[in-house]
Amino acid sequence: MEATPIDNTFEDPGQRAPLVLNHNDFTSVTTDICRASESPRPPRAWYIAFAISAALASLFFLLIFYLFITGVGIWGNHSPTMWGFPIVNFVFWIGIGHAGTLISAILFLFRQKWRTAINRFAEAMTIFAVVCAGTFPVIHVGRVWVVYWLFPIPNQMELWPQFRSPLLWDVFAVSTYFTVSLLFWYVGMIPDLATFRDRAATKTRAIIYGLLALGWTGSNRHWHRYERAYLLLAALATPLVLSVHSVVSFDFAVAQLPGWHSTIFPPYFVAGAIFGGFAMVVTLAVPSRQLWGLKDFITMRHLENMNKIILLTGSIVGYAYVSEFFIAWYSGATYEGFAFINRAFGQHAWAYWLMLFCNVVAPQLFWFKRFRRSIPVMYFVVMCVNVGMWFERFVIVISLEQDFLPSSWGYFAPTWVDLMMLVGSMGLFLMLFLLFIRYLPVIAMAELKAVMPQADPHTSGEHDTPAGQNREVV
Amino acid sequence: MSVGASTVREDRLGALAPRLFLGGGILGVAGLGSSVLIGAVGGAWDRLLFSYLAAFIFVLTVSLGALWFTLVQHMTRAGWSVVLRRLSEAIATNLTWLGVAFAPIAILVMLGKGELLYHWADTSVYDAGSEHFDEVLTKKHVFFTPTFWTIRAVFYFAVWGAATRMLFGQSVAQDASGDVSHTHRMQRYSPLFMVLYALTQTLAVVDWVMSLEPLWFSTMYGVYFFAASLCGFFSVLCVSLWLLQRSGRMQDVVTREHYQDAGKLLFGFGIVFWAYIAFSQYMLIWYANIPEETGWYITRQLGGWRMVSALLLFGHFCVPFVLLISKHTKRAKGVLAVIAGWMLFMHYIDVYWLVMPRIPADLLAQSETYRQLIDSIQESGNDLGFHPHVLDLTCLVGLGGVAIALTARRLGGCALIPIGDPRLSESITFENM
Repeated sequence: MEATPIDNTFEDPGQRAPLVLNHNDFTSVTTDICRASESPRPPRAWYIAFAISAALASLFFLLIFYLFITGVGIWGNHSPTMWGFPIVNFVFWIGIGHAGTLISAILFLFRQKWRTAINRFAEAMTIFAVVCAGTFPVIHVGRVWVVYWLFPIPNQMELWPQFRSPLLWDVFAVSTYFTVSLLFWYVGMIPDLATFRDRAATKTRAIIYGLLALGWTGSNRHWHRYERAYLLLAALATPLVLSVHSVVSFDFAVAQLPGWHSTIFPPYFVAGAIFGGFAMVVTLAVPSRQLWGLKDFITMRHLENMNKIILLTGSIVGYAYVSEFFIAWYSGATYEGFAFINRAFGQHAWAYWLMLFCNVVAPQLFWFKRFRRSIPVMYFVVMCVNVGMWFERFVIVISLEQDFLPSSWGYFAPTWVDLMMLVGSMGLFLMLFLLFIRYLPVIAMAELKAVMPQADPHTSGEHDTPAGQNREVV
Repeated sequence: MSVGASTVREDRLGALAPRLFLGGGILGVAGLGSSVLIGAVGGAWDRLLFSYLAAFIFVLTVSLGALWFTLVQHMTRAGWSVVLRRLSEAIATNLTWLGVAFAPIAILVMLGKGELLYHWADTSVYDAGSEHFDEVLTKKHVFFTPTFWTIRAVFYFAVWGAATRMLFGQSVAQDASGDVSHTHRMQRYSPLFMVLYALTQTLAVVDWVMSLEPLWFSTMYGVYFFAASLCGFFSVLCVSLWLLQRSGRMQDVVTREHYQDAGKLLFGFGIVFWAYIAFSQYMLIWYANIPEETGWYITRQLGGWRMVSALLLFGHFCVPFVLLISKHTKRAKGVLAVIAGWMLFMHYIDVYWLVMPRIPADLLAQSETYRQLIDSIQESGNDLGFHPHVLDLTCLVGLGGVAIALTARRLGGCALIPIGDPRLSESITFENM
């Protein structure tokens, strides 16, 4: 290591900041990233986190079992708030499941090279979040043993799903999204899995990673096919990112209910999903880079970029809140107006203002560079966003508690099972994530190397390159 | 490719600037003059107003798209687009004179004659004793008082004027000095202007277009216009790049790579995103089937509007989607320019489709239900505002001519690309693959 560390926090419009710090070369990148998986024992913090999250995940499965033998009456759902926590949790998790594919696919198409340090992370997060999300509607159907009726499978009873229902569109949208995201994640990982295989110190590792690497040799032909497949999957995944959350928003917006029927819902939900997803990436990236010593790769500049996107998408969400309120007034529709007044000043007003603070006010701190680069402030804001985005869905879903029929009005209160299942799903999510950072390549090594100065033929400065293109990644 | 600083520096509109200024000016004066003449002689004052509004909104959306593009390039510290940025900066400066172009409408509203264009400007709708009384409209009377409405318009133009002035001014100043502090300043203020942009753009289209049918509402409306304005701007960008290159300018600096990226943006935002927003709005209103909302679309599905709606579906989305999805069409300069020209035409049709259709107030008042309304429209043979008029053309030529003249004048005074930008070399050497 040389004495002068590379700084990438400068603002010089003539230069692109390096994305990898501290004079790493290709070998040190491989060694540092593989260490997380190859060290005989993970850090103690990993064991503690894993024990807690596994316990919560077990609780989740126990509660699902309890639900199956008892029925959905153990939840707080009631008429008219029929959907309650399960749909809130579903939308919350599916939203988080968005940033992964967004970072990978959309940032890839927009040539944002800083994505290479965080895309693997985010894609893994997508898969686990969609697993959590998918669980809730499945267990919510009541008679879970006939859940396969959701699919149009020909049968002698001539039962057929209601194709006009957005809930059915969800089935297709989410399962397609899950499949493509999984493929995208896995295909992107193949070169790195091969690195794991080649470095394997034990027989077991060699066999398992060998199987997963699908015989990758790194030949020119392999790379050619790989790059094409990756570009195609990215192009396929991009409309999927938009479509899944748009379909989720249709669950609400096609209804004639005040507070639900709003034409801005599709882009508003997509922006909200990106917002919540990026907050979750920061939530996970900050401890992980600390735990595995990845600060040279997931640099402050990466975190700052993500914080900027959080500020942007948080402001778009704020725009949607304001336009909903404005149009509720502008429309002159009595019920629409009532729904929104009720949201802000009714019995669940605390949830509304909490949401507004967490999603719109807190991210405004990111206007200031000082706060974008401060780990404590950043962590405070992303935690606010995690809470706020859950409450956003809560506010929408429980706005039904005061519907058209005053005699059915009530106060929606969750039961302990509701709350524990939410916590349990977080445990499941974290447990899967911890397994991922222990057993799979946590950063896309091959892609990261491609954006390092060593990958640039002009890097040695032998060629006569235009000003500002010498050392940095272009 | 190596490009000497001197060849880049000489890249100017040069002799073309005065010719474009003169040509555009003649078109502008002739178009607007004949519009007024036809309006006065033919007594078609109200038609003139609608045609003028459609042309105004068309030029406005293209300019707003340019402002958005410029702001985004600074917010993202973009390098590839530097060579295109001067064009977008110059097109955005149209927002300054558009304030003057809007003045006739504002004066009309202030003078109390706004009901020729806007139903809400008719004071009798707020009068409980009048037969035109509309209870729902009285709820938003405060929003539609002529003074408040005009003050808002002044505010929008003030924001847009300040933003375009800052961006154009800093960029041109950088041409001479090459000082990076200009870049820092533009990057610093762009996010703030973006927040104001979202606010003003949304409210402006609510005020000027959505309120043409003051009872109708949609939270998506501002986003729809945003998508539409990007379609307009990226089309203009692709067409003007091609024309400028054919005239021998910007030869070595703008390459196929830039065409491909401009084409991607036209494809992504102007075609696919536009269709996504248009579909979402339509689908949700169709599905919920609430009479307050469906009327707006019903108007656009009757009579001649039916074909215009179909034209938008196929001409603004299906066909260009297939044509532009391939990288080969985006990289073939002439092909891209032709498709972009078509998209610009489609954008005007889109604006026309948003501004022109209307249900006569008397038919609306007679009908209890939408079924009755549709029946009475069909019986009366009313064309719902679908009668293409020569005024549509003259107004478009007039305002379009002024836009060309003033953009050329603005561009004539500076280099065609921001030659002082620190990321210029990155932009010139940029490659997609």
